[in-house]
Amino acid sequence: MEEKRAEIRSIIMNTSSLPTLPGIISKLNALSENDKTSVQEMARLVSSDQVLSARILKLANSPSYGFYKVSTISNAMILLGVNVVKSLALSSSIFEIMEKNSLGLWEHSLGAGVAANIIARRLKLPECEEISTAALLHDIGKVIIRLNFGDDYQKLLELIRKKEITILDAELELLGMDHTEVGAWLVKSWFLPDKLIEPISCHHNVAAASSHQVKASVVHFADILIKTSGFGFSGDDFVPIIQPVAWETLGMTEPILAEIVEEMEDKLVDTKNFSLEIQTVDEE
Amino acid sequence: MQKIPLLLAEPDMVLARDIYRDDNANGPPICGRGVALTDSLIERLKRMGVQTISVEGHPVRMDGDKNLEEILSALERRFKKAGNDPLTGRLKEIYRAHYMKSFGEYGGREES
Repeated sequence: MEEKRAEIRSIIMNTSSLPTLPGIISKLNALSENDKTSVQEMARLVSSDQVLSARILKLANSPSYGFYKVSTISNAMILLGVNVVKSLALSSSIFEIMEKNSLGLWEHSLGAGVAANIIARRLKLPECEEISTAALLHDIGKVIIRLNFGDDYQKLLELIRKKEITILDAELELLGMDHTEVGAWLVKSWFLPDKLIEPISCHHNVAAASSHQVKASVVHFADILIKTSGFGFSGDDFVPIIQPVAWETLGMTEPILAEIVEEMEDKLVDTKNFSLEIQTVDEE
Repeated sequence: MQKIPLLLAEPDMVLARDIYRDDNANGPPICGRGVALTDSLIERLKRMGVQTISVEGHPVRMDGDKNLEEILSALERRFKKAGNDPLTGRLKEIYRAHYMKSFGEYGGREES
């Protein structure tokens, strides 16, 4: 069984199996590593790819960030920061796949971004946009897993779901790894910073986070809240247990949580509209 | 709170959100939250081209909408794995209260 798991691991974590990323991404990476590169130069590079720009702007305008109308890549970079725009650029092709094949997951991810944004703002945390981005990306590992296993995997998952276990437990049982590991590996391969990697990797195990436990706690809560609301579908219908370490790290209280829930339920109406509008645009 | 097409608006429904002009979304609202609708107000909103509004409660039964009972039992099912966990239980209670409030009497009118 161990050998089978190792084999599965090597299939999943094989960069050549990833959806092709435009060449611009590696150029962008190179530019952003260089301190002397200006935001305008990076914006110009990204804007030169219309398809990519459109995808980034679509994500930048999602309710996860709460900005009124981000119309250019430069604006996106200024409002959201370079890290966020880079993340959106890198993950855009995965989100396209998610939207096409796993609409429920796409809505779950959007909703998690919204929830994380609300939590981060309520608690006056720094780097709200990065936290929202981590939440948006938290389940991309599931897309990669599914890409590599297709129908067989789906059938087996169905069966396991009938046993009423969570998708996390199903992944561990079937593959010996879970979507947090795969997701973290993916964003690491994109050279995204730790503050984005850790919340993705630790959203189901906040205690494992080190420098970014606050961000991981927010994503943990965002995931739980959005599952409670029933918005979208992340693979199973069960609300995970709130880990005490997350509760304590954020200094959460019941009144604050109640306010967050009110605000989130309100914003989810917009988020549903956003998701529907986006789909209509894509169909054109 | 429920977002409904203006066509389904009726007097005594109470606005849950401010309504803004389309051409001046950053300006002052046409109509503020908490205002109870009247026939003339609804007409005015129609003339101004307002398409949807958000009202308190859940006064309109639309296709596919669940009733409170269905929503609460779906909530229970979702929390099955969380069992008796105290923190998670608090979240469930918050949501129960939220649903009960949002399905409450619309219009904020007291029964006389």
